Amino acid sequence: MDSSRLWRILGTGSLAATLLLGGGFVYAVQDMLGSGSGLTAPAKKPVLAETGGSFAAASTIYVTALGDSLTKGVGDNTGEGYVKQVIKGLGQATGKPVQQINNLAVAGLTASELDEMLEKDQGMAYPIRQANLILLTIGGNDLFRTALSQAEEGNASDISVESVASRIPEAIASFKSVIGRIRAINPDATIAYAGLYNPFYDIPELKEGIVPVQKWNDEAFAVLSKDPHAVLVPVLDLFQLHGSGYLSSDHFHPNHEGYERISDRIIQSLS
Amino acid sequence: MRDLLPLIQNETLKIWKKKRFYVILLILLVLIPIFTYAQMRVSQTNAVHFKDWRNQIQQQITDLQNTLASDRVPEEWKKYDRIEILRLQYYLDHDVNPSSPDAVSFTRQFMASSVSLFFPLMILAIASDLVSGERSSGTIKMLLTRPVKRWKILMSKLVALTLYVSLAIVATGAVSYLISGAVFGYGGWTMPVFTGFGVQGGTIDASGVHAVPQWLYLFMQSGLIWVSCMTVAVLSLMVSVLLRSTAASIVTMMAAVISGTILSGMTSSWESAKYLFSVNIDLTDYLEGVPAPIDGMNLVFSLGVLAAWSAAALAVSFGIFTKQDILN
Repeated sequence: MDSSRLWRILGTGSLAATLLLGGGFVYAVQDMLGSGSGLTAPAKKPVLAETGGSFAAASTIYVTALGDSLTKGVGDNTGEGYVKQVIKGLGQATGKPVQQINNLAVAGLTASELDEMLEKDQGMAYPIRQANLILLTIGGNDLFRTALSQAEEGNASDISVESVASRIPEAIASFKSVIGRIRAINPDATIAYAGLYNPFYDIPELKEGIVPVQKWNDEAFAVLSKDPHAVLVPVLDLFQLHGSGYLSSDHFHPNHEGYERISDRIIQSLS
Repeated sequence: MRDLLPLIQNETLKIWKKKRFYVILLILLVLIPIFTYAQMRVSQTNAVHFKDWRNQIQQQITDLQNTLASDRVPEEWKKYDRIEILRLQYYLDHDVNPSSPDAVSFTRQFMASSVSLFFPLMILAIASDLVSGERSSGTIKMLLTRPVKRWKILMSKLVALTLYVSLAIVATGAVSYLISGAVFGYGGWTMPVFTGFGVQGGTIDASGVHAVPQWLYLFMQSGLIWVSCMTVAVLSLMVSVLLRSTAASIVTMMAAVISGTILSGMTSSWESAKYLFSVNIDLTDYLEGVPAPIDGMNLVFSLGVLAAWSAAALAVSFGIFTKQDILN
C-alpha cells in the first residue's frame, strides 16, 4: 500500500476514533456530574421464583440453607459443614437428586438479625421460594454471643447460666417471626431446624447451661410443632457427654465429625 | 498549520512502519482468547452450582456478608464490601444481571479492568521511543536540521500519539467484542447497566442511580479510558524526551504505573498519595460505583490531578525539547 493511501485510511480512521472517544468522555462527565438529562432509577421489579413445591412430592430436592455459623460450616476443616453432608446423604437415603439452591448462612447471625434480613433483603426471598427443603440453625448467637465475647476477654466466670436464660424470651420472639417470614415466602417447603447444644458442657461452672439451652429447644419446638411441614432435629445430646471430641478447636463450633452427626440426625428425620 | 499536517502524516506513518501497532494487535489476539476461555470456565462452573444468576448474585452477597462478620477484616476493606453488597442488591432488586455472559458485557468488563495496567502498557509500547528512539538511531539530527520549528516537530509527535491512543482503545474494544462474541454471542447492546452510585465515605447514595443501555455505558467508559490513556501517553512522551534510552523510559513509566496500582491497594493509610497520577487513573471506577481508594477522591478531583500532571508533562516536554542541545 502506498504511503498516501495508508495515511488517508489511518488519518481518517484514527481521527474518527478520537472524536468518538472524546465525545464519550464529555458525555460521561455530563452524566456523572448530574446534568445527565433527568434519567431516574427504574422501578423495583421483585421477581417471584417458581416455588419448589412440597418436599414429599418433589422429584428433585432443592435445598436452601439459612442461619448462622453452624449452617455456614464454621469449624469444619473440610469446609463441608452439615449442609453439604445432608445433601450428599439425603440423595443416598431418598434416591432422589438433591441440589443446593443457596447457602445464605452468615456467621454470627442472631435470630433478630435474620428476622431483619428476611424483612429487608428482597433477594433472599427468591432462593427461599425455589426450595422444597429449608435447613436452618439460629439462636446460638442470641444466647451465647455475649457470653462468648466475655469468655474471650478472659472473664469466663462472668458467663452466668441466668444471663443465658434471660435472653430466651426476646430471642424466641424473633425465632417465631423468622419462621413466620419463611412461611410467608414459601408455604410448602419442609423446614428442618437443628436445635441448640451446650458447647460449654465440659466447663464445670457452665454445665448447668444445658438447662436454658433445653428450654430454648422446648420453646422452639412449641413454635415449630404448629407447622405441619416443620421439624426440630435435636442435637443437644450429641455434644453432652463426649462433646470435646466433636467440637472444633474454637470450643464452640462442631468439627467435621460433629457436623456429620448433626447431618445424620437431619437425614434420619427427613427420610 | 499548513506545515504541521505533513509532519503529523510523517510521524503517523513512521509509527505504523515501526510495526508498533501490530505488536498491540498481536498482544490482544493472544490475550483476549485466554480471558474469554477463563470467563467461559467461570460461567460453566456457575451454571453447575446455581439454578440461575439471581442465586449466584445472592450467594455473592451472602459471602460478602460473611466477610463483614469477620473481626479479622480491617474496617477499610469492609467499606468496599458494604458498597459492593448494596450495588449487587440494587441489581437484584431491579432484576438486572450485573454480569451477563455476552460479548458486550465481556468487552465492558475487560476494558474496565485493563485501565490500570494493560492499557498503559499498550500506550508505552507506542509512546516510549517517540523521541528517545530518534536519539538512539541518530535520526534526530536529520529531523531537527529541517527548516521547521522544533515545537512543531514535538507537536506532530504528540498528535500522532493521540491518534494511536484512540486507535488502540477502539481496536481493543473491537477485538474483544469479536473474539468473545464467538463464545458468548454478539448480543447485550441494549442491556441496562446502572450508573450514578454516589459513594461518600462508607455509604452509598442511590438517589442518582439511573439505568443506561450497555452501548451507551461502553461509550462513556471508553471516553474515560481515553483520558486516562492520554495522561499516560503525555507522561511517557515527557520521559522519552528526558531519557536517552528507550529501555530506560519504558522501565521508568512502568514503575510509575505499577506503583499506582500497588498504592491503590494499600488504601487510605497515606492520604497524600491521592495526588499521584497513577492512583487516579482508574476513572471507570467512578462510573461503575467502586469506591475510590482514598477518601476525598472523586471524578472532578481525579480529572484535576490528571490534567495537572499532563499540563506539567507537556510544559517540561516542550520546554526541554525546544531548548536542549543535541550532542553525541
